[in-house]
Amino acid sequence: MTTTLCLRGGRVIDPANGCDEVRDLYVRGGRMVELAPNERATEEIDLNGCIVMAGGIDMHTHIGGGKVNLARMLLPEDHRANANPLALPDNVLELASCGTCTPGTLATGYRYVEMGYTAAFEPAMMACNARHTHMEMGDTPILDHGAYVMLGNDELFLRMLAERWDFERIRDYAGWTINASKAMGVKVVNPGGISAFKFNQRKLDVDENHVHWQVTPRQVVHTLARALRELGVPHPLHIHGSNLGVAGNIQSTLDTIAALDGLPGHLTHIQFHAYGTEGPKKFSSAALQLAEVVNANKNVSIDVGQIMFGQTVTASGDTMRQHAQSGLADPRKWIGADIECEAGCGVVPFRYREQSYVNALQWVIGLEIFLLVDDPWRVVLTTDHPNGGPFTSYPHLIRLLMDRSFREEQLAKLHPEVAAQAALRSITRELSLYEIAIMTRAGPARLLGLPDRGHLGTGAAADIAVYRENPDREAMFATPEYVFKDGLMVSRAGRVTAAPVGGTHFVAPDYDRGIEQRLRRHLAAEGSVNFDHIAIGHDELCQCCNGGRLLPAACFQEASSS
Amino acid sequence: MNESDIAAEPGNAPWTCPFCPLLCDTFGVDTGPPGTPLKLVGSDCPRARAGLAHFDAATSTAQPQVDGRDCDLDTALAAAASLLASSRQPLFGGLGTDVAGARALYALACETGAICDAAQGKALMHGLRALQDRGGFSTTLAEVRTRADLIVCMTEDPTAHYPEFFRRCGAGVREDLRIETLPLNGDLFDTVSLLAALVAGRVRADHERVPAELAALAARLKAARYAVLVYESARLPLQGALVIEAIQRVVETLNRSTRAASLPLGGGDGASTVNQVFAWLSGLPLRSRAGPLGLEHEPLCFDAERLLTDGAADTLLWVSSYGPEPTPPATEVPRIVLGHPSMGLPRGDRVFIPVSTPGIGSSGHLFRTDGSVMLPLRPLYDDGLPSAADVVRRLTDAVKAQKKGRVQ
Repeated sequence: MTTTLCLRGGRVIDPANGCDEVRDLYVRGGRMVELAPNERATEEIDLNGCIVMAGGIDMHTHIGGGKVNLARMLLPEDHRANANPLALPDNVLELASCGTCTPGTLATGYRYVEMGYTAAFEPAMMACNARHTHMEMGDTPILDHGAYVMLGNDELFLRMLAERWDFERIRDYAGWTINASKAMGVKVVNPGGISAFKFNQRKLDVDENHVHWQVTPRQVVHTLARALRELGVPHPLHIHGSNLGVAGNIQSTLDTIAALDGLPGHLTHIQFHAYGTEGPKKFSSAALQLAEVVNANKNVSIDVGQIMFGQTVTASGDTMRQHAQSGLADPRKWIGADIECEAGCGVVPFRYREQSYVNALQWVIGLEIFLLVDDPWRVVLTTDHPNGGPFTSYPHLIRLLMDRSFREEQLAKLHPEVAAQAALRSITRELSLYEIAIMTRAGPARLLGLPDRGHLGTGAAADIAVYRENPDREAMFATPEYVFKDGLMVSRAGRVTAAPVGGTHFVAPDYDRGIEQRLRRHLAAEGSVNFDHIAIGHDELCQCCNGGRLLPAACFQEASSS
Repeated sequence: MNESDIAAEPGNAPWTCPFCPLLCDTFGVDTGPPGTPLKLVGSDCPRARAGLAHFDAATSTAQPQVDGRDCDLDTALAAAASLLASSRQPLFGGLGTDVAGARALYALACETGAICDAAQGKALMHGLRALQDRGGFSTTLAEVRTRADLIVCMTEDPTAHYPEFFRRCGAGVREDLRIETLPLNGDLFDTVSLLAALVAGRVRADHERVPAELAALAARLKAARYAVLVYESARLPLQGALVIEAIQRVVETLNRSTRAASLPLGGGDGASTVNQVFAWLSGLPLRSRAGPLGLEHEPLCFDAERLLTDGAADTLLWVSSYGPEPTPPATEVPRIVLGHPSMGLPRGDRVFIPVSTPGIGSSGHLFRTDGSVMLPLRPLYDDGLPSAADVVRRLTDAVKAQKKGRVQ
């Protein structure tokens, strides 16, 4: 007999279904179900005094692939406690795995799940490194996962733009790349800039020409956003904009939004792209300016990339900017790479300091963005793990957003000029549990096009996090009472209780396969891998992902008719 | 089954050569009737030919052995599990396997507290220690092929060990590509340090201790659009990490005004692949163990050779699935060998289990020398042998079962 679990009497906060009420939920066969009048549950858990939400979804977290593993190898000090090794797990369900900024994949899965998250998405997969990326995610236990493949810095794409190929061929190339790499979306990083750095260009504004190809980031962004729209890929173009970390880069960010020309676009770790040049240090918050534009442009969504004070490591595809920042590395070492005429990578350790004017302001800017954008459905809670801080700091971040007095206590500890002048001081908004539920599960699921995730309606996957109500929101969100993945209890009071293999989300858009002959010729002439070895088939994907379920997501029906 | 899955069937897709970390994938292999050696088609690479010569397209009849006697797999696994379960400090060496094998080995290493070090551990640690201390800037084969205008071989001509390397770089095709070898002036470290000083302008080119050819090389590096400094980790001397750091110093200085990158050659025979897999699973690379105090990483102390010499390990599990070489080191401690069927059982081995070769008799995945590209290995035929991953998984279950039996 199939078991039916009743989660009785919890306060269910389920924004996708407009729900915030005390009610019972039923789980059967890994799904949320309704009971017929004569049916009874076979098991019951009393959730009186608990908050029930869908499992958390982190749609931008660097958890797998080449640069993440380089970061692990760069920082053995992140994988020990001073001179001592980190203790082995005391839970027989866990294999040994350690680290804080870039934990091993096993620890990544365990720690996310203990915190109530049930899915995570790697935002920067290189096509040439796709198998590796999927393998790491497959070795991240319990969590479902997916990745966005990087385009817009590959020499072929830039050549196509420069030589004014038909848009349809460029679109087909994007479609082929998504299919071949089994991606969930497309990310562009410093559009054109990673390639430009290989040609020794050190800066690239949105309307500035790539020194070799003579195309602009504006063209790159618009073309890719249009291609995804026409391919029907649900997740909008994932954009890491130009001039990351540069004072005054708000102009690049506004120009990038304008380049979308109304097409859907998701601007990621926007905190790093919201800097003005005002004040004595020529470095200021442009959060208000940004929020006004995001509020006015409904085609735009963002994730924040909040910074958290302490040691971390920044791992990025943006070689141009990481090279420029490498002098700030702490500890003083860094890794860079030019990769396969399609991408790059830069890994720079970093310590955010409360007494640094710039770091303190970055912290303020992130929080201001959270609190100034009106529509929580278009703001996703991230630290751009590990770039702004490790994902394990989410409960602290949630408390900062929900508790104004706590926020002010923290602000008072910062660099005195920032503490005294930040506009954040006058922002009284405190996010509600309902808004947090949107920003951490319902919103990301919608932005990714996952109709059965991020909510608790009938038919949804039974990915559920149950928190004990506690006015200290940090404590509450750090250790949920129960976490269920596809109906299976995977964590109880912060301790993993089962470690199944997660599933792989990807999209498979249609495209004209005529493009493959051109790609075959291109790779033979300029590549280093046989064309027939690029694409990952379903069986191979399954092997890479450790035998986890394949979860293809549907593309828009109106694709290519637009 | 879609098109790319069909490609995974024997003989349906181009072959990826598993015998060197360049992972060339544009050559063919002529598989004649079973029993005839495999022949390379489209290249005369001696390394690939030598690798293929150990295979004959026939289903293997090799049997597992315990103490020199043929037995079935279960008997061999039980004997191996018994050795590992009673070992106070097992050592996993060789590590000639693929991603799947590495994934399985990690679980067994956690179960037994084994220290893991690749056959090429010394060379691997040169690169790893330099990375841990300083980082570095590297590039990949496609970048070199299309972008490099100057390749400098820092550890002599790589052709002897990587016969296809220059072809992969586009040598002979691109007229704007210049290839040269570092002219030694004293030892390697002295030379690279002096080159770094010249490139950075810390020593004048006309200084009396500067050889003219090194000064000229420094000038060409500074004038190059995209210079690539190639080095073979296995050719580095003791404390090779210092040489790599000096090479990275040259690259870093050049990158202030022009473009340059390093390219390491090494990590074959599964070494860099197993290193990557262990790093992602645990957070720590090879020469680590899940020991009594926790997860320990000791790039110097956990050297397989040193541990055996010091008597610090009491059981050796050796994996060599790409060929009969490398053989396990001579040692007094009991050895369990998962290897190429023709390895047979050297005297002193307690357990031998023949395993399939990824890229010949079964599928698999390996990282290329540049670390960014992972390629699929397609089988040429079914060799009828279990994969190292299968054997290790079963061994792990058997060790768990034996430990449980002892507790009860």
